[in-house]
Amino acid sequence: MITKDSNMPEFNARKLFFGLSRFLLFCGLVGFLFMPAGLSLADQPRMILANAVVCERISNFRPVNPAVVFSVSKGEVFCFSEFDPVYEKTAIFHNWYKKDKLIFSMRLVLSVPKWSSFSRVQMRDADKGPWRVEIRDQENNILKTLRFSMSD
Amino acid sequence: MTMEQLALLFFGWRWQDILDIVFNAYILFRLYVLFRGTNVLRVIMAVVAMWIIGRSANAMGLVITNWVMQGVITLATFIIIIVFRNEISGVVRTRSFGFFLWEIPRTQNNTPVRIITDAVVKLARSKIGALIVIPLKTGVDSIIASGTDINASLSREMLVNIFWPGSPLHDGAAVIQGAKITRAGTILPLSQNRHLASKYGTRHRAALGLTEQSDALVIVVSEERGRVSLVKDNRIHEVRDSDKIETLIKQYTGGHEPVKGMRRQTRELLLAAMVCLLCTTGLWLSFSRGMETLANYDVPIEFMNSDKKMNIIDASASKSSLLISGARPLINALTLDQISIKISLDGTAVGKNKLAITRQNVQLPPGIRLKNIEPDQVEVILDVMAEKWVPVQADFSGKLPDGLIMTSLRVIPETVKITGGGLILDTVTTVFTEKIPLEKLTTSGFVNVALVMSPGTLQLDEKHKKVQIRYTISERKRNDDIES
Repeated sequence: MITKDSNMPEFNARKLFFGLSRFLLFCGLVGFLFMPAGLSLADQPRMILANAVVCERISNFRPVNPAVVFSVSKGEVFCFSEFDPVYEKTAIFHNWYKKDKLIFSMRLVLSVPKWSSFSRVQMRDADKGPWRVEIRDQENNILKTLRFSMSD
Repeated sequence: MTMEQLALLFFGWRWQDILDIVFNAYILFRLYVLFRGTNVLRVIMAVVAMWIIGRSANAMGLVITNWVMQGVITLATFIIIIVFRNEISGVVRTRSFGFFLWEIPRTQNNTPVRIITDAVVKLARSKIGALIVIPLKTGVDSIIASGTDINASLSREMLVNIFWPGSPLHDGAAVIQGAKITRAGTILPLSQNRHLASKYGTRHRAALGLTEQSDALVIVVSEERGRVSLVKDNRIHEVRDSDKIETLIKQYTGGHEPVKGMRRQTRELLLAAMVCLLCTTGLWLSFSRGMETLANYDVPIEFMNSDKKMNIIDASASKSSLLISGARPLINALTLDQISIKISLDGTAVGKNKLAITRQNVQLPPGIRLKNIEPDQVEVILDVMAEKWVPVQADFSGKLPDGLIMTSLRVIPETVKITGGGLILDTVTTVFTEKIPLEKLTTSGFVNVALVMSPGTLQLDEKHKKVQIRYTISERKRNDDIES
């Protein structure tokens, strides 16, 4: 009996150990199944574009009068892009096109944890017409295309 | 003459050339048939000989000889017309339409000598003077112009009747051609021979006069003695035996052996036809092959496209300049639709293709030779038709009214399908609308506008000829104006 008594706690501990290990194995399997497929660490975006507009001015690091038509009399036009979050330091490009011709490209560095950046072009009479700004990442992937016109 | 030039004489014949030669040879042959036996033919032969001399002189560079020959030929042409006007008009008047085109006469073979003999014997016995002319090869139309045209069938009675004393035509000579009395009452040229025996009268002198100028046979029946004389080649043969008259007439006219005579004439005509053919061929060769000339033609390049999916987007040249040589008449008669440059696009690929233009690509009519091709290469850009969905962007003009700002717009549909060459489509990233005037836009709304395709070779899907632009216009905050 003593043996039994002495054996009882030993039996419970072993039973508990097997139960716990089975539970952990199950959790591991379930966790493995629910892990997103094909998303390695290298494939994770370095930043997320929260907002991008073409505007007349930048004031207090915020875009003023976002619009789609700009008068050349205003003198300049801005492309504002806001990234939140930024996981690691990286760079983006603002490529300015008049019709389909690349006019100007600007490299902008983004820092963690979030970052806003802008580029701008001077407007002249000869610039009137349809424009677009392509926001691209370092790998040249288009993040967003902003279309606007310069008019009288 | 090199072997190449010699070979060129016999190659590159067109069916038109053969027709040209045969047709003209026939015309020449018909002229021979028409004027056979007349003096006109001899003079024409002389003119042709002079023309050949002139051409040869020209080829050899003998300027004055060529010039003189040309003058002589011109003069000779006038001389022929003036001197032989009677002979020519005689041929024209007396010949039928068929004679001009296809008939081949057998001279004198059909002359009924028996009838003539009978008539002559009858006239001699009756002592009725007569003068009968039987023209042979040279004819007498250029010598005899007077008299009355009769064109009556030959008969003993008719002949006797013509020379019957008191008859209106009995004074002159009767002309017999074939089985017809063509003319009567004609006056023959008198011979100037001083050695003519005194026994011969005016009839004999006239007969002699005609034979001095032609090869005609003249039968004279003397009125005083009732004697028959045959005059030929300036000689008078008195026929005492009336039985010999027929034989002698046949002998002189070549009619006593009709079969042989026919054969001889057939041979003569065949020879003449051959000579006409040779002359015309020589003439044609001297014209077509002798006068080599160069010419430059800008010929459009035709591309033979076997792959219907492939389109020609651009070509470095649409024409090529061909330097060709050939006889001047052939070059002058050449039209652009007879020349072509055809280049096959088999084996080409999308993009730039350099294609050589070789002699095999150039089609020329026979007798024309290719000397040079410029340019001898053409660069063709080929493309395959493709489709692409492209975003649409609004294109504005003018100015928004003061105090307004267009804050957003939306294009419906956002993208449209365009069709065109794959290479061009790669360069197209946006399709733009027609200009939308901003002055009229005061409040938010929409406009339907057409799209502008650039380049024009691109085609828009039928459903997307127009798009809708929905725009939002708001009033600009006063602070903004002040700040700006």
